[in-house]
Amino acid sequence: MTAMNHAEAEEFLVAYALDALTGDERQRMEEHFRSCEEHRDAAAELRATASLLALTVEDRDPSPTLRRRIMEAVSAPPSQSGAFVPLPPTRPPSTPAERRVARPRRWSVRPAYLAVAAALLFALGAGALIGRLTGPTASTVAYTFHGDATRAPGAQARLVYFKDQQAAVVAATGLPRLASGQVYEMWLIKDGVPLDEGIGSSTNGDLAARMTGDFSQFQQFAITIEPGEQRLPTTMPILLGNLRAGS
Amino acid sequence: MSGDAPDEDGQIAAQLQRGDTTAIEALYDRYGGLALGLAYRILNDRSAAEDAVQEGFVAVWRNAAGFDASRGGLRNWLLSIVRNRAIDRLRGNARARAEVNFDSTEHADGVADPWAAVALDLERKQIREAFDELPDAQRRTLGLAYFGGLTQVEIAQQMQVPLGTVKGRVRIGLERMRAFLQARGVTA
Repeated sequence: MTAMNHAEAEEFLVAYALDALTGDERQRMEEHFRSCEEHRDAAAELRATASLLALTVEDRDPSPTLRRRIMEAVSAPPSQSGAFVPLPPTRPPSTPAERRVARPRRWSVRPAYLAVAAALLFALGAGALIGRLTGPTASTVAYTFHGDATRAPGAQARLVYFKDQQAAVVAATGLPRLASGQVYEMWLIKDGVPLDEGIGSSTNGDLAARMTGDFSQFQQFAITIEPGEQRLPTTMPILLGNLRAGS
Repeated sequence: MSGDAPDEDGQIAAQLQRGDTTAIEALYDRYGGLALGLAYRILNDRSAAEDAVQEGFVAVWRNAAGFDASRGGLRNWLLSIVRNRAIDRLRGNARARAEVNFDSTEHADGVADPWAAVALDLERKQIREAFDELPDAQRRTLGLAYFGGLTQVEIAQQMQVPLGTVKGRVRIGLERMRAFLQARGVTA
């Protein structure tokens, strides 16, 4: 990736704000932002203006069922969450190559794993998640991952996968603190393709989440620090671990 | 101008972060029609647009804990998600969706804050005016980027103009809009 100079970045600012750059261009811009506060701020202002384009449309009356569908999805207890509730991307793909692999995901963990998950997550200081997990213990696979020696020394993540329910909980501690505008982003890697598994932005270096899916199809789990949620990682992982070799 | 109606949206955001499902209803009452208008503008298909809107609201619910108002208002966050979901679908990237089980529960309509609705209407009128004031080529170019999800290169191909022309149009167009809205106090 070729570094973008100031003049070049100036030219790309508006297109960046409109998500109208190719993946490579956008990545180079975001790399440039790391060292250029002026352009970072300018991009944020332009993006705010671009977002107003959404307000040029006319309202449309939703069908009577839409409200019910939404409320059903958000209200469904985890044990019956047929709802499709993935985390959102922040921007559309710029090139076909960047598009995510399509797959159904659910973000609710059946309340089945309180005992195991509580022990795990309380140990890692992420007990807030536990209130959402109840029920009988299932067969599990647990993984412990350590932070990158340079980028996240001392960081640790614990991921427990509940095979029969194809659901997992993950909790990480000791992650590097985020700068303004940054988020932690989790990824599952399948055949070399990272899939966005959501973001967190705690101020204390902790991260906890629950995920669903057939983890046997993924090879790795990773966390990066990103300037807002990304479709694909734009930085090297601060934590990366293999799933199939887990304990 | 109220802009993102920060008080009410901030209250809704706080409720969302507490896990109060009535906040999603309040958000839907405020922006459901707008969100659907946006998704429909992108997809030109009601059913697909409603799917994108549903995904947007559910995503807001699921990720409310990470919402940081200092990085932008709740409305803009919701709309950006809905837009991205719609563009994903437009570009053929919609993910398979699990079956959704519906119950027969009826939900009463919420009562929207009248002033917030008025302020939003005023703001939107100004923004439409700013957009409509642009020369046709700039407006179409911005539209292809924002509502079409196209890159500058793709826009140049579609409009059959040089890439440099597209770059100029998006830059001048968005800057004109911004100046117009700043002059009217819609944006800072």
